[in-house]
Amino acid sequence: MSTALQLTSAEQALGISLPNRRMEDWRWTDLRARITKPYAHIKVEATTKDVERLLASSPFAKATKARVVFVNGMLDEKHSKLNGLEIAHNVAPALLNDPHDPLIEMNLKLGAKGVALKFTGQAEQLVEVIHIATAGNARAMAMHNSIEVADGASASIIETYIGDGDYVLNTVTSISLGKGAHLDRLKLQNDSAASTHLSHVIYDLSENARLNDVTVTVGTNLTRQNGTCNFLGQNAEAKISGAYLLKGKQHADTCLTINHLVPHCTSRELFKCVMDDNARGIFQGKVVVAKHAQKTDGKQSSRALLLSESAEFDAKPELEIFADDVVCGHGATAGDLNHDHLFYLKSRGIPEAEAKSLLIAAFVGEAFDLVANDDCREALAAIAEQWVVGK
Amino acid sequence: MLEIKNLHVKLADENREILKGLSLTVKPGEVHAIMGPNGSGKSTLSYVLAGREGYEVTEGSVTYNGKDVLAMAPHERAALGLFLAFQYPIEIPGVQTMQFLKVALNAQRKARGEKELSIPEFLRFVKERAAKLNISQDMLKRPVNVGFSGGEKKRAEILQMAVLEPSLCILDETDSGLDIDALKVVAEGVNALRSPERAIIVITHYQRLLDHIVPDVVHVLSAGRIVKTGGKELALELEKNGYADYAEKAA
Repeated sequence: MSTALQLTSAEQALGISLPNRRMEDWRWTDLRARITKPYAHIKVEATTKDVERLLASSPFAKATKARVVFVNGMLDEKHSKLNGLEIAHNVAPALLNDPHDPLIEMNLKLGAKGVALKFTGQAEQLVEVIHIATAGNARAMAMHNSIEVADGASASIIETYIGDGDYVLNTVTSISLGKGAHLDRLKLQNDSAASTHLSHVIYDLSENARLNDVTVTVGTNLTRQNGTCNFLGQNAEAKISGAYLLKGKQHADTCLTINHLVPHCTSRELFKCVMDDNARGIFQGKVVVAKHAQKTDGKQSSRALLLSESAEFDAKPELEIFADDVVCGHGATAGDLNHDHLFYLKSRGIPEAEAKSLLIAAFVGEAFDLVANDDCREALAAIAEQWVVGK
Repeated sequence: MLEIKNLHVKLADENREILKGLSLTVKPGEVHAIMGPNGSGKSTLSYVLAGREGYEVTEGSVTYNGKDVLAMAPHERAALGLFLAFQYPIEIPGVQTMQFLKVALNAQRKARGEKELSIPEFLRFVKERAAKLNISQDMLKRPVNVGFSGGEKKRAEILQMAVLEPSLCILDETDSGLDIDALKVVAEGVNALRSPERAIIVITHYQRLLDHIVPDVVHVLSAGRIVKTGGKELALELEKNGYADYAEKAA
């Protein structure tokens, strides 16, 4: 008897079977049950007016000097502003041939296209890669970009996702850092309220490379973000932070694997997740230390702030350590706002709502500390503040 | 100014009465000391005045300039001019001290219908006061009380008081955990705020703070009631004889 499930109409439209809760990594995010509409891979034309309006709504519009614009999954050269940035079509899907990752399989199936960005100098400008989804028929879209920072080079990149309407977006980003390379990456996921955002990011770090990566999740109805960080050279360091600001029935799941394949590397993960109403946040973090990866220093921490009785947070921290001389740790906490903190602020004349918003912003703000650019960090603080006010 | 009449307070989740008919009148310009042994209800009194959750007033009243304090939320009491310097100031990670002071001051000014201070005005205003209390710019940049030493926390409380300019300052065991030098700095900060319009209540276990902040009136609090009121010499007497006499009286 075959154990394969009969394809749902949504799966038939996408041409793949979707991951479901029987798969360990997908137990909290059953895409098969949650994606019920047939999202077809169709082209949606965008009006210039819509594109420009959505582009202007990026909180980083002022801070960025160069912009690579995607509209409905396709590169929009007209609205892109390269400012000397060299781009090529991304033709490296071979490295993605991971048959076990359903999101990558979907990305390939949807014929994802994208750009390859290569940085060989020092980060002189902030580069924004922005994806805009315009209102239109419900559809599935995919994108696959690659970022390469050459030996000794540095770059600062923002990935922004903004949209209107009902869609499934599958986006894959392949990142490779050469020897001594440095990358600051910030991802803001503010897709439309009706949408589903599925992403996978792969980081390959060579010797002495440094990565600072911050992902802020505000939008969508359903978000699943996978990440794989591979340490391929010694003395590399990856700091990966995330913030969730979820309300209503929003659902966001991050599944991150750090592979310490060589000795003397450092990884830090910090996720600060705020959930209100019936929102649900999930953090699954796995640190794998290979047998020869001695002197690995790996720590991960996920902390949740639950603002309502019906909000939920699930954390699954895992350590798989095959080496014997390492420092690794993980921690996960969940709770509501600290009453002593609230009372202290109120006793100084700050009204309850304002006191709460200060504390919420302070809580997620810790995840923004990695963002080196002041304008971007302030933009993120403003997003957190607006989120609290708009609750 | 402050009028506490026959105040009875119990812990909300236990059936234990802490204050058992406390009455106290404080007039503008006065400095009152409330002294008493551990467990007499000193901290409960300060928390009830500030509006902390967890206490239930079963009888009596507290009015401030004629207004019913017990009916007000903590932030409204603050805007009215009440300030509690905490015995154990709370650490608030992620909220910068300077930002906290600005939000608090502007919230109070707004509540009183006054104009918010501009950023340069505010910075000047805080820096002047911080310098007098030996509070560095670095401390102002750090999150509220996070990583501050015991003395720094108490000085930071006095700085908040100097910035917010309340009309009634309640100092809850501000001397605890201070060495003599820190005590002097704190006392000077408090004395600088003495004025004919402002009243101060100093809650303390020991007399030594009262050498530096000289009170007009001294009360002895024992088992939830004020059992004796006198001049500053009463504090010296307590220092010499202890609270034993009063504990018996209350029982």
